[in-house]
Amino acid sequence: MALAVLPTGPDLSVRSATTRLAEEFPELSAHSIVLVVRTCREELRGSPADALPELVERLARQRLRVSLD
Amino acid sequence: MGYVDVSGVRHTLPDGRVLLDDVNFRIGEGARAALVGENGAGKTTLLRIIAGDLVPEAGSVARTGGLGVMRQFIGSVRDDTNVQRFLVDLSPPAVREAWDALEAAELALMETDDERGQMTYAHALSHWGDVGGYEAEVTWDTVTVAAIGIPYDGCKYRELSTLSGGEQKRLALEALLRGPDEVLLLDEPDNYLDVPGKRWLEERLLDTRKTVLFVSHDRELLARVADRVVTVEGGSAWVHGGGFVSYHEARTARHERLAELRRRWDEEHQRLIDLVRTLQQQAANSPDMANRYHAMQTRLAKFEAAGPPPDRPPEQKVAMRLRGGRTGVRAVIAEQLELTGLMKPFDAEIWYGDRVGVLGANGAGKSHFLRLLAGQAVTHTGECRLGARVVPGFFAQTHAHPEWQDRTPVDLLWHGEPGRPGVDRGRAMAALRRYGIADQGEQQFRTLSGGQQARFQILLLELSGATLLLLDEPTDNLDVLSAESLEDALGAFEGTVLAVTHDRWFARSFDRFLVFGADGRVYESTEPVFDETRVQRAR
Repeated sequence: MALAVLPTGPDLSVRSATTRLAEEFPELSAHSIVLVVRTCREELRGSPADALPELVERLARQRLRVSLD
Repeated sequence: MGYVDVSGVRHTLPDGRVLLDDVNFRIGEGARAALVGENGAGKTTLLRIIAGDLVPEAGSVARTGGLGVMRQFIGSVRDDTNVQRFLVDLSPPAVREAWDALEAAELALMETDDERGQMTYAHALSHWGDVGGYEAEVTWDTVTVAAIGIPYDGCKYRELSTLSGGEQKRLALEALLRGPDEVLLLDEPDNYLDVPGKRWLEERLLDTRKTVLFVSHDRELLARVADRVVTVEGGSAWVHGGGFVSYHEARTARHERLAELRRRWDEEHQRLIDLVRTLQQQAANSPDMANRYHAMQTRLAKFEAAGPPPDRPPEQKVAMRLRGGRTGVRAVIAEQLELTGLMKPFDAEIWYGDRVGVLGANGAGKSHFLRLLAGQAVTHTGECRLGARVVPGFFAQTHAHPEWQDRTPVDLLWHGEPGRPGVDRGRAMAALRRYGIADQGEQQFRTLSGGQQARFQILLLELSGATLLLLDEPTDNLDVLSAESLEDALGAFEGTVLAVTHDRWFARSFDRFLVFGADGRVYESTEPVFDETRVQRAR
């Protein structure tokens, strides 16, 4: 039976967050940022679509900050 | 379709009196039921039990389809509640809880922006979506536009106290009628609405497919909307399955039937007592009769244990005696009168014995006009005179007497005031009894119900010997019976009556109408005019 899987590909919430966070955290590789953003996107998949970009970006920013501390 | 099923409900007051007992009725299938009863009969308590605010001492209330409640205080909200909070509070419990959780999460995030807070916020947001929060916000937008002409985003932080009573009512009604709840409890939904507002309410209630239980004293609204009438009286409730038009006959017939059943029970009771006495004497002389005597004793005991049927409820006795007296033929003369900033100059002559309804737009100066005639300071130009022997008596809306709030009716009657001599305690209590407020004689005025305050004010008019009655919305807080009693008293009053009213039923008893138009024009009409729109002022 095929399971319905939500697309976690490069949607708006991932793209916009990745671009901004890459500028904000030049010391981190683009690959690490994308990984964190995608994980956040996956964890927040039940959230309302309109709120998703902001939620993903805030959570990813928080995690990236912690990783640098 | 939603319904409310009230079964065997009993409620006792803190002083031990049983207010409601064995209340049984079911309202469902899109019925529009009016809940009526005298002031203090227990209508609001019953509504609170149905709404779940009070737990009944016995019995139960079953509901399906979600319950929306509009409370009586809506229209007089003066605290800092804003439009958003107000609409949330009118929403189903799931939406309210999700909103509260979302708000708490937002506040927590403002305090500490950490991962835990962000996940809580994200969950609260998802839950808000799951319970239909976004759909609710779309509905709120429609509601605010319909009620006050402003989109939700433009007014959600606006304090409710900046809206008029009518706007507050309309906002609540729009929200409930457009909301998902299938059963609505509306406690005096028409208060604070002007006549176009009441007509709008009637149309909406006639259109809705929801089940509605509403309390109202407006006889026109009751007659147009209610398809059944639940009456709270005599400590219980009964349902008339027809409309308000046939209600009085049904109530009288029911009272007669109850009185007849009670009379038969009393007769049978007396017959059994007599039989037991006879058999007791016979048993003393004949042992054979002893068995019959004991059997009859048992039968009497069982009969008494079953108890009598409910008695006919006591009628509320309100006997208003407005006497008045002969005055000059011309009772009121207004020449080029203009209440500054409220209207264009107008002339009017009101004759002794006239019954004049003062109608028109809210904010057009009707109440100010009455206050001017009552001798109060109202800025004006032109002239306004009272005729010979005309003594004005003024009935203000009930909140207009802050100086009475901490005094008791007996005290107010005892001391009198200029133009109204004081009366001794005996006379005061007799007068209060006639107005059905003797039990409240020693209570502070502020603790009386709206209807009791209104009746007390009419009593003061009676004692003042007024020959010109100036009444500002006198039926607003009166129950149906008291309003009818006031109409009878005004019919017998020898003198002139001017009354500001939005009560269409009451207005029909007047002969002439002075209409204060929204455009500032004051004109006479032989028919009641109720479609003057509200005066627009800068807000």
